[in-house]
Order: sequence, then structure tokens, then C-alpha cells
Amino acid sequence: MPNAEPLDLTPVAPPKSPSRSRWRSMGVLAVLVIAVVALLSQGILHSLNYFETVDQALAHRAKIGTEVIRLEGVVKPGSIERTSKGASFVLSGTEDRQVFVDAHGSPPQLFQADIPVVVVGHFTSATSLDFDGSQIMVKHTATYIAAHPGRVKAPNGTSR
Amino acid sequence: MIRQLYQRLLGPVTLVLLALTIWLGVWVTPPDKVQGNLVRLLYVHPAIAWVALYVSFGTATIASALYLWRRTRSWVADRVAHCAMEVSVVFIILTLITGSIWGRPTWGVWWAWDARLTSTAILGVLALGYLALRRANDDPTLRAKRSAVFAILAAINVPIIHFSVQWWKTLHQGATVFTSNRTLLVHGSMAWTLLISFVGFTLLFFWLLRARYRLEVARERVERATLDAALSQRQREGAL
Repeated sequence: MPNAEPLDLTPVAPPKSPSRSRWRSMGVLAVLVIAVVALLSQGILHSLNYFETVDQALAHRAKIGTEVIRLEGVVKPGSIERTSKGASFVLSGTEDRQVFVDAHGSPPQLFQADIPVVVVGHFTSATSLDFDGSQIMVKHTATYIAAHPGRVKAPNGTSR
Repeated sequence: MIRQLYQRLLGPVTLVLLALTIWLGVWVTPPDKVQGNLVRLLYVHPAIAWVALYVSFGTATIASALYLWRRTRSWVADRVAHCAMEVSVVFIILTLITGSIWGRPTWGVWWAWDARLTSTAILGVLALGYLALRRANDDPTLRAKRSAVFAILAAINVPIIHFSVQWWKTLHQGATVFTSNRTLLVHGSMAWTLLISFVGFTLLFFWLLRARYRLEVARERVERATLDAALSQRQREGAL
């Protein structure tokens, strides 16, 4: 039978080799670092500017050629036509610069005239102003106005 | 007195404000001129994003800075930073989910690799990295210091997210509330509902933070009690 001396319970330094859970956490950290790098390369480095405006695209028309780009502009009122493939319309920039878009697939729910949209696609030839779109995305503005202006008054009493 | 009142009223007031947001958002406010009824997501997504980016991540960053500064260093600050970051992860995920739900019918896509969305996703990964870093260290002091430094470095991403819609061309809309000329771009009852949703979700964060903090304190207490019990048992075994 051992003597009834109290045990030495002084804290000791932890073992130098990391525990299994620690290795697992380090592994998770490594995966997260890879995820950040992947997100950076995919999102920030390749599409820091998500689209080219109509003005920019036409200014660099020769350089763009038939490369696939995201083109942004305002849908010209009265130009929308439903086609068997999807829709065709005119995208306007400033100073009356325009590009004719023939887009495939169903346009988004909010697609309509006089709103900004982003179209993924390419110009049909190196010099053409016709754009072959494969996807339409609506870029809605940051302003929210009631659909029935009479029901909502601004703080100054006017209806907007 | 004030503390007791705060503790008693925080939950009920939060629930009332969130219920008010739902009522106003779904039944009272008008549809938007362009977005129609989709605008009702305005009373959920921006408020959640506000909490995720500024309130919760901000709280975690400030608490981390307080821990690193010797004069204010305390385990309370470390605990608050940890708990706020956990809640932040939840809100960042909710931000991305509600944004996707809004994006599909408005933009036409669930996700776009634009600067705003990508930098928000990166913030989510950084917040998860913070939590993983905390689990990678057994020494509490080292863990607290390293995670505090990590939180402050990760917070650099918050202003990048905020200004991303100004610095770069994004599919995500520009600022509606925190505009550069301080003009709110939401009209009438929609603006009031938006304000109530911001307050409601902010209070929800503090309610969740308080609950998580109390849970963490209880966990530490149980851990200490378990250790003390094990030590006592060893002492008793040694005494035999």
C-alpha cells in the first residue's frame, strides 16, 4: 500500500506534439486559407469590375473583338421584342451610343424597358455593333419608390 | 436597475420589433415601382447585412482591440469577441442566403462574382477562420492574443465590402441607406419599416450575444468544476 503523501499536482508544461484536434483545426485553417485565395482569384482578380458599360465597350471596340464580356447599359424603351430564342433589344449608353442585343434564354422576372441590365455575351464580329447575349441580368438601382405614389408621402409632403 | 431592465426587456422588445417589421413589411408597405412585391426582402436582407458586417463583426473587432490593449485586457473582452464572431458567422451566412433569394428573381442569377458578393463571402471564410484558429490553440492566453490579432486584420475587409460598390462596377446595387451624400433612397413607410428592421435585427444580435456569452461562462464554469472534481478524485486516490 503506498504512503498517504499528497500527489504533486503542480501544473506541468503541455506536451510539445500537437493533439489530434489541434491538427484537425490546423487542417481546417489551411482549407479556409485555400478558400480565401480561391475566392480572391475568382471574384476580385478576375472580375473586380463586373462589367463594361456600353460606352467603355465601344471605346475599346477593336480590342474586345468577339471576346465574351459582360455588357451594361439601359434598355431603350420600345426596343424590346420577344424572339423564339429569348429577346432582342437595344442597350443604350451615354451620348446616344447603342448596341443591338439578341439574347438567348428567358429574361429575368424584372426585365423591362428603361432599366439597367448586364448582358453576358460577345459581339457577332470584330467590327459589328450587334451583341449575341447568352444571359441577361437586371441591375436594379438603389432607389425604392412605391408603386402607388399617391399612397406614400415624402417628409416634405410631396409625392414621389 | 438599468441593467436589470435591459436584461428583462431586451428579448420582448426584440420580438415586438421583428414582429412589427414582418407586419409592416408584408401587409402595410406598398410594392416597389420596379421590383413589385420583391421589395419586401428590403426589410430583411439589408438589416441582416448591417448586423453581420458592422454590428457583430464590429463588436468582435472592438472587443479584440480591448483585449490586446494592456489597460483594458480582460477575459470578458476575449469572451465577447469570441461570442460576437460566432453570431457574426450566422448573420454573414444569412446575408448571403437572403441576398441569393433576392438576387434570383431580380438579377436573374443566384450568385455573381462581383466585388460586393465576393468580399462578403471572404468575410464569412475569415470569420470561420477565426473560430478555427481559436480551436487550434490550447493555451488560453496565446489563443486570445492570436485570435484578437486575426480579428483586427480580418476587419480590414469590412470597409472594402462597404466601399466595393463605389470603388468598382458591381451587379449589386449601390448604397441605399449609407449613401455618400447622406440621402436615404427609400420612400415613405418603406423607410420607416426599414429603420424598424435595422433596430430589430440589431437588438436580436445583442440578445443572441448575451445568450451565447452566458452559455460560454456556464461552459467555462462546468469545465473548471470538472477539472476540480478530477483533481480531488486524484488526491483521494493518492491518499488511499
